[in-house]
Amino acid sequence: MRIERELMRGAGPVAVLQLLEQREMYGYELVEALSRRTEGVLAMGQSTLYPLLYNLESKGLVRTKWREAASGRYRKYYALTRKGIAQLHSYRKQWRGLVGAMQGIGLMESDTRGS
Amino acid sequence: MKRQAGPYIESHESFDVDRLAAASRLPHAVCERILAVVQSSGLTGERRLDLVRELVAHFEDGLAAGRSAAELLESFGDSEVAGRLVAHATHPPASPGHKVEQLWTRGDPLVFRLWRNLSYAVRRLMQSPAFTATAVLSLALGIGANTAVFSIVDAVLLERPPLKDPARLVDVYRATANFPYGVFSYPDFDDLVAGTSDVFEGIASSQLSMLQVERDGAIDMQPAELVTGNYFSLIGVSARFGRTFLPEDDVAPGAHPVAVLGHSYWQRAFGGSMDVVGSQIRLTGRLYTIVGVAPEDYAGKFRGIVPAFFLPRMMVNEVQSGESDELEQRGSHSVFVRARLKPGATLEQARVAVSAVAARLKATYPDSWSTGDDMVLVPAEDVIVYPPFDRFVRAAALLLSVVVGLVLLMACANLAGFLLAKATDRRKEIAVRLALGATRKTLVGQLLTETILLGILGGAAGVVLGVSLLRLLLAAELPLPVPIDLDLGLNTTVLLYSVLVSLAAGILFGLAPALQATRPDVAATLRDETAGAGHAGRQRMRNSLVIVQVAMSFMLLVGAGLFLRSFLATQAADPGFGRDPAALLTMAVPANRYSPEEGRVFVRGLFERFGQIPGVEAVGLTSNIHLNTLNSQSIRVNVDGVEPPPDRPGHDIDRAEVDAGFFDASGIRILRGRNFSDIDREDAPRVAIVSEAMARRFWPGQEAVGRTLHHQPDGVDMTVIGVASDAKVNSLGEAPVSFVYLPYSQAYTSFMTVIARTSLSPEWTATQLLAAVRELDPDAWVWEAKTMARHLGIVLLPARLSALLLSVFAVLALTLAAVGLYGIVSYSVSQRTHEMGIRMSLGADAGAVMRMLAGSGLRLVAVGGLIGLALALLLTRALNHMLFGVGAFDLLTFVAVPVLLGGVALLASYVPARRASRIDPVRALRSE
Repeated sequence: MRIERELMRGAGPVAVLQLLEQREMYGYELVEALSRRTEGVLAMGQSTLYPLLYNLESKGLVRTKWREAASGRYRKYYALTRKGIAQLHSYRKQWRGLVGAMQGIGLMESDTRGS
Repeated sequence: MKRQAGPYIESHESFDVDRLAAASRLPHAVCERILAVVQSSGLTGERRLDLVRELVAHFEDGLAAGRSAAELLESFGDSEVAGRLVAHATHPPASPGHKVEQLWTRGDPLVFRLWRNLSYAVRRLMQSPAFTATAVLSLALGIGANTAVFSIVDAVLLERPPLKDPARLVDVYRATANFPYGVFSYPDFDDLVAGTSDVFEGIASSQLSMLQVERDGAIDMQPAELVTGNYFSLIGVSARFGRTFLPEDDVAPGAHPVAVLGHSYWQRAFGGSMDVVGSQIRLTGRLYTIVGVAPEDYAGKFRGIVPAFFLPRMMVNEVQSGESDELEQRGSHSVFVRARLKPGATLEQARVAVSAVAARLKATYPDSWSTGDDMVLVPAEDVIVYPPFDRFVRAAALLLSVVVGLVLLMACANLAGFLLAKATDRRKEIAVRLALGATRKTLVGQLLTETILLGILGGAAGVVLGVSLLRLLLAAELPLPVPIDLDLGLNTTVLLYSVLVSLAAGILFGLAPALQATRPDVAATLRDETAGAGHAGRQRMRNSLVIVQVAMSFMLLVGAGLFLRSFLATQAADPGFGRDPAALLTMAVPANRYSPEEGRVFVRGLFERFGQIPGVEAVGLTSNIHLNTLNSQSIRVNVDGVEPPPDRPGHDIDRAEVDAGFFDASGIRILRGRNFSDIDREDAPRVAIVSEAMARRFWPGQEAVGRTLHHQPDGVDMTVIGVASDAKVNSLGEAPVSFVYLPYSQAYTSFMTVIARTSLSPEWTATQLLAAVRELDPDAWVWEAKTMARHLGIVLLPARLSALLLSVFAVLALTLAAVGLYGIVSYSVSQRTHEMGIRMSLGADAGAVMRMLAGSGLRLVAVGGLIGLALALLLTRALNHMLFGVGAFDLLTFVAVPVLLGGVALLASYVPARRASRIDPVRALRSE
């Protein structure tokens, strides 16, 4: 499915923040999660994902840490900062408001996900 | 299996693929991709190391999850875009200049944004220095050439003197059968004033003359305008300070020795001193009181000839060398007339009025007014210098403007081509950054900054170029007949205009496609890994740009070729005289102090001195040297058996008074009969020598020597004693002209050009001639001492200038076109590398690939060339009257230009195509 640019804008960072709220993740994990859990809608090339992560880091929304995983490989893990959590809450409120508004005008059913 | 990627890759700044592959055990291609990203991110130190580690971990995770390397690379995306985005995302906190930025911008968000945009633009431009240099150079050439040329055109054509209500001013000319823009004699002018008081509020005359100025013991010649007392009030020009002339300054002949200084001469000679008013100055042997200084913006009636002095016209006999009274002589034509229409009077009424005056003059003075003569009016606003010159001035200015306009257009086309090529690159980056949350406004700001920065750099370089061009032009000592003085400042309006045009082109072709590309579907653009594929519209646009450039180069080259050939033809043309080195001195024996008898004695003494100058082999004099642009003299004769033209009482033939030495000194041979000699005294029978063309015209197939010319109107008969070889009289291009030589011994002239043929340096000889005159009579009037080569150079000047300028611009255009072509071909090569790889892996050989790539470039050249050929054929017809000795359809030019253009195009396509054909197919296949 193709998403118009206007709708797509800003979704990437929100999605990444949302995924990181549940647990800290490393780059490849995020790629897989974005692709699998959004049915490909939010799949993005890694040439885009890594810069997005660095951008979030430079804004102070995520922090990073190199750690040895259970497999023995070293990976860079991303986790939300306090500022990132606050930002995610703010985003979430806005998205809910937006979705509610869309339901209100009948663009989507209130008990199903728009597809 | 336990693999630790991170710790293996440690503190080195420069990784190479092999080491990284060994350390990480990742496939070679993956390591290449990682390093490409790191490279274009521009990160250093710990952050760089961190990026490598993370990307290695990423691919290892992918491989561990069972994906293939090719799959992983496919989904990773373009390395350069990634690197740039990484750089952008990590820049703010990473930048060591961050604190400086904050300090510098004082925390002002707008200034901060500007600063950020600017530093981003500088970084981007520095990333591709070749592109930047070419774009800036293209712009500089276009902007510089345009600014310089339009500054000249503006000074010559567009700038108007501050005349009061110029729409009501008209110039009056005397029209004869041969020439519609003749000038008047003073008696004619007085009759004109008397007969047109119904239609003209006022009518003023002006006349150009050279003055001998004596200051601080030195003598130099300066141009002056002799004007009527109402001249300044008529055109509404007042003095800078002091006063201009009043009607009472111009009442009785010789009674008003007052002068108004021209502004530039006042600056030059008096350093702009205010004390000058009231002081006296010696001009041509008489003291004048300076009463005022003309304003800076009024430099006389004749644009380009800036008078040092204005004098009342009643002083004309004091400054002219002629032995006759200029104010009374109806036959002496040198007066320009300008009049102001009365309120309510129309141009048509004025035309009727001046024609009525002309009719009366024809009836009263049939000797000087022929039946077909008339007077014509030209609105003063339509006159640039003088109507007969204006056609050439306009044509030259137009030609120059068109040529530099084309050059600017080509520069814009080049810039556009480059920016279009980069647009594809950019499209992806913009899409990605929009996805990352950048606003459209920010992006527009950044792209705009980049384009404007290019424009500013190009503009700055253009100014430098333009100023140097103007300097060069002003410094070039052109062999002009009169001192030309134009106010040639660099025109800022034009400069601004050129910069804006180039910027508009940059924005149109660079920014618009990039932005447009981001509109439809960001996700699709992000996934689209093959940059530039299938954008036929942009490809077509780039191709048309090349075609346009080639067509324009073709046209300019044809123009340059024709002018070059014309110039060579002019140079090769034989003027019929002056082939040997000689010095020239134009002078006059002061008629107010020497009678004709005394004058001849004086000249004899002078020639004795000339003959003693070392190296001088022959000396002669003429009253009217061939190919001079200042004066022409004619004689009216009748020949038995040859009817004069209808409405004419006789044949008007160009003439000169010469002495016996003239023919030897000038290199004109006596073909038959004899030269003038001592027996041709004043009381002896009148004799003449005619040119061969004249002999052929009046006595075809017969001997001219011994025939008789009946001089009109006095009826004196002259015997033809010799026939001289033909020489060019008015222009190099003319067919041989009838010419009559009269002996100086029988026809005295006080005005003369001395010709001294010399075996030594002509420059030195010229100074020796001048010194000899000064020695004999320090107050003798000398106009000019120069060499024969310089004299002939005046005639060659238009051809030389046109050839030079057009050649310069054509080479410029060819360079621009070649650069553009090279850019387009190498870009298309870079876009098709993948395709090349496939073709070559399928068995196509390098030669075939190269032929294919170069061929696509050459096809564009062929199309452009054909369009250029058609345009050139159309346009060269307009050049016809500006060419000499070469037709507008000159085969050599039309063969040489395509060959040259084709050669350059071949080279411009061949170089990038060859590079592409040498690429390793495997690498090409891997590239995206």
